[in-house]
Amino acid sequence: MVLTPDFAIRPVISFQHVHKTYPTGTEALRDVNLEVPEGDFLFLVGPSGAGKSTLVRLLIREEKPSKGKIFVDGVELGRMKRRRLPHYRRKVGLVFQDFKLLPNLTVYENIAFALRVLGESDQRVRARVAEALDTVSLYGKENTYPANLSGGEQQRVAIARALVHAPRFIIADEPTGNLDPATAWEIMQLFLRINARGATVVMATHNREIVDLLRRRVIAIDAGQIARDDRSGRYHDDFAKSEVRAQ
Amino acid sequence: MILRNLKFALNSAWQSFWRNLAVSLAAVLSITLILILAGVNLLVGHALSQVLDGFRAKVSEISINVSDDTPLQNVYDFQQQLTVDPRVASVSFVTKDEALAEFKSDPQNFILAQQIEGNPLDAKLDVRVKNLNDVAAIDTVARRWSGVDPTDPTNYQGEFVNRMLQLSEWLSLAGAGLLVVLLIVSVVIVMNTIRTAVYHRRKEIEVMKLVGATEWFVRGPFVIEGVMTGLIAASIALALLVVGYEPVVLRFRSDIGFIPLSYDPAFISSLARDLLLAGALLGALGSYIGVRRYVRI
Repeated sequence: MVLTPDFAIRPVISFQHVHKTYPTGTEALRDVNLEVPEGDFLFLVGPSGAGKSTLVRLLIREEKPSKGKIFVDGVELGRMKRRRLPHYRRKVGLVFQDFKLLPNLTVYENIAFALRVLGESDQRVRARVAEALDTVSLYGKENTYPANLSGGEQQRVAIARALVHAPRFIIADEPTGNLDPATAWEIMQLFLRINARGATVVMATHNREIVDLLRRRVIAIDAGQIARDDRSGRYHDDFAKSEVRAQ
Repeated sequence: MILRNLKFALNSAWQSFWRNLAVSLAAVLSITLILILAGVNLLVGHALSQVLDGFRAKVSEISINVSDDTPLQNVYDFQQQLTVDPRVASVSFVTKDEALAEFKSDPQNFILAQQIEGNPLDAKLDVRVKNLNDVAAIDTVARRWSGVDPTDPTNYQGEFVNRMLQLSEWLSLAGAGLLVVLLIVSVVIVMNTIRTAVYHRRKEIEVMKLVGATEWFVRGPFVIEGVMTGLIAASIALALLVVGYEPVVLRFRSDIGFIPLSYDPAFISSLARDLLLAGALLGALGSYIGVRRYVRI
């Protein structure tokens, strides 16, 4: 059954009967069908090992589907040539639980890094990094190294790096996983602001409070399948297949 | 854009070299050691080839002694026959008087020369052969000539020439073999050293790939850093070899006098070119291979 919300806006992300089986034989995803309209804010929830991270990895094309098709912005990821992949990744901003900041680089250099790979001029890099620092409220910390920042500040740097090149999609894998509730909430405010500017946000999370408070679209994944797709949903702990219902 | 990328690659190569100084120094040290070995091999090869060239020049010249009763016309005819022989580089005729004068001019023969009455020496044809392998054939031609002195036809020493030829072949083979072994060992060592350096920076590479860097954008700084490492190592190796070259040759000559090893300052420029080129190539190749596993998107 295809669980597609009846959105009027065209989908920019589309999973069509996607299966993913790893070489070890582990079946991580089974017949996943999903459509995400442009500008959507989507939570992926589910127990550990349910397949959330596999879905994220497929979206950033770290993995290819074993069966089925994934379209992002009209391009089928499974058939994308390797040399086109960097260009695709430039459309996406990625945020991870472990921040993935480079410890040898300052805050400024970490954020500028995403623009350097695009070959942007120094002048443009300066302007864009200043803008990103302003968005995440880290002005004055440009020359600090990640080790001297709190977890929340490090995640802000990671978010600034993810949005500095104005991506159309933000994909976040447990971005609040290492943060205390107050900091997690601040980080979520940032994601909401980025979403309000038009970026589509897909976020895998275990943070029940945030999901329940924000009441955004929730995709619950259980045992590699979409168990629930709520347009303005809650977290729920019960991922039993009996709960599956199209909203 | 290309210039900006190049600037970025150069900058990050330079920064990464200094930021990962311990690993960078390990790479410099291993390349330096290998290049010193390669340099010593080149220097020894060059010195030996000079020694061998000297021997070759000596043994590729044979003197054909002319019998006293041979008519001059016969000698000229034979000289002409040798001159047009493609294997022969030059032929010169030395008369009996010239041979005596030559003998007397050698200080070693001073006492003997005073006791000589008349001129017991033969006139001779000094023949320089182009290829050492043809000396034996020319010797055979000379011995068949009717005007040759049958008691002492030529000064050709076949056994010695053959041994020289064999030695020369073995030395060339050993030098080439040593270079091949050094090359293989060095590529493996450099590759592993640089792979260690790359392993330390795998997170950086992962982030680069995730923010949309192309494979060459990721690889570029590592290859440049490899070239930089190779050039620094080559410079150190070269400096040490240049400093050690003359004293070692002089010491060798005083200890083992019968091998006339020589110091050749002109060879240093070609050694510098070879070492710098080898250092840069080794560094680049090692980095390229070392980084491949991590760079593949």
